[in-house]
Amino acid sequence: MSFVTQKPLELILARNLMSALSTPAFLVDEGGLLVFYNEAAGMLLGKRFEELGTVGPQEWGSLFGPFDESGEPIPYDDLPLVRAVRAGRPAHAELTVRSTDGSRHDVEVSAFPIQTPHGSQGAIAVFWPSLAGGNGMGPG
Amino acid sequence: MKVKLWGTRGSIPAPGPETIRYGGNTSCVGVTLADGSMLALDAGTGIRCLGLALPDEPTRLHILLTHLHLDHIQGLVFFAPAFRPQTEIVIWGPASPEASLRDRIARYISAPLSPVEVRELPCDVSFRHCPESEWEIGSARIRSASVSHRGPTLGYRIDDGDSSLAYIPDHEPALGADLEALEEDWISGFELARDASLLLHDGQYTDAEYPDHVGWGHSATSHALSFARRTGAERTVLFHHDPLHSDEQLDALGAEARERWGELGGDAGAIELAAERNEYELPARAAKATATA
Ligand SMILES: [Zn+2]
Ligand SMILES: [Zn+2]
Repeated sequence: MSFVTQKPLELILARNLMSALSTPAFLVDEGGLLVFYNEAAGMLLGKRFEELGTVGPQEWGSLFGPFDESGEPIPYDDLPLVRAVRAGRPAHAELTVRSTDGSRHDVEVSAFPIQTPHGSQGAIAVFWPSLAGGNGMGPG
Repeated sequence: MKVKLWGTRGSIPAPGPETIRYGGNTSCVGVTLADGSMLALDAGTGIRCLGLALPDEPTRLHILLTHLHLDHIQGLVFFAPAFRPQTEIVIWGPASPEASLRDRIARYISAPLSPVEVRELPCDVSFRHCPESEWEIGSARIRSASVSHRGPTLGYRIDDGDSSLAYIPDHEPALGADLEALEEDWISGFELARDASLLLHDGQYTDAEYPDHVGWGHSATSHALSFARRTGAERTVLFHHDPLHSDEQLDALGAEARERWGELGGDAGAIELAAERNEYELPARAAKATATA
């Protein structure tokens, strides 16, 4: 039998926790692939995770950006979430995401890796409304 | 593979006239593989009687611990084969960043909690962290995986010939999750139990009791049934009974579980409650498990 499809317990528990949070939160696996985001994140992006499913870096970028302060798209590999999982270190950034209705939201992103006895299993990023500009993010 | 339940209770032993049929000993399951190799799954107080039933001759035994809560290790210092020099015991369990398996078990097998120290055990005992990949014991392939409970906790799957046993006695897969809606690969313990011939699974609480015990690491009846249905286990035995549950209450819980299983479209005979000394024979060649009580 094959066991390859089972997610590590730490990712399962992270998803369970994130599902209960009202702060937008994103989860990537140890390869940097986005495997889940919660309802609050879905409201920000204009699309629920269940509708979108797991998407690769290219599609993610074309859908939502994100963009730096000069409006340039940020390469997937430079996103805090991906940096956190690759380097095994926390990462923080201010960026802008575009939701499916075209509106833009300035956010601060904090990401941290999920370290386990079996090594790094992925990373979690939490979005906070940027203090600098209005972004339309409600309390979720 | 032969499977015998020596302890079916969770949390703390619950002996007494009100628990005589389902039993009061804590978690322990004896497994005899097709090639005669012997395993004990957990070492709750039930392992004392398993030890008494073993012949007094040179023996090699493997004890597979899911975790180190007392109801899963308490019987170790009263396990008769551990006091025979001709016995070899290999104890498997979860790794922890904090201390080795031996050192963590030694916190219990040491003064003042225990009359003996690990180093004083006359048997040849060794401790091994469960590997991340499948390994072999005798004729079986063994797989462990971390599951949702409190602290580092494993579930086990034992494949011997065409038969498979999944053992997940302490498990709360429904914590913060909807087991009916979630994708398979996001369900804790799923791969261990997938299409198992026999699933021994946590069924500690009734659905009415569960809301007061969210996050305690155990399942309500409906969670165990959902888990069994989603994983496609052929036969499910609800295990790790709450110490407060009398035989009468467990009879009622079992009847309700069978009814609910029937409503889910299952065969009512495929769900039952764990009772001490029940035995299951899982044929080496594909066929359904048969029980002798
Ligand atoms: Zn337990
Ligand atoms: Zn436990």
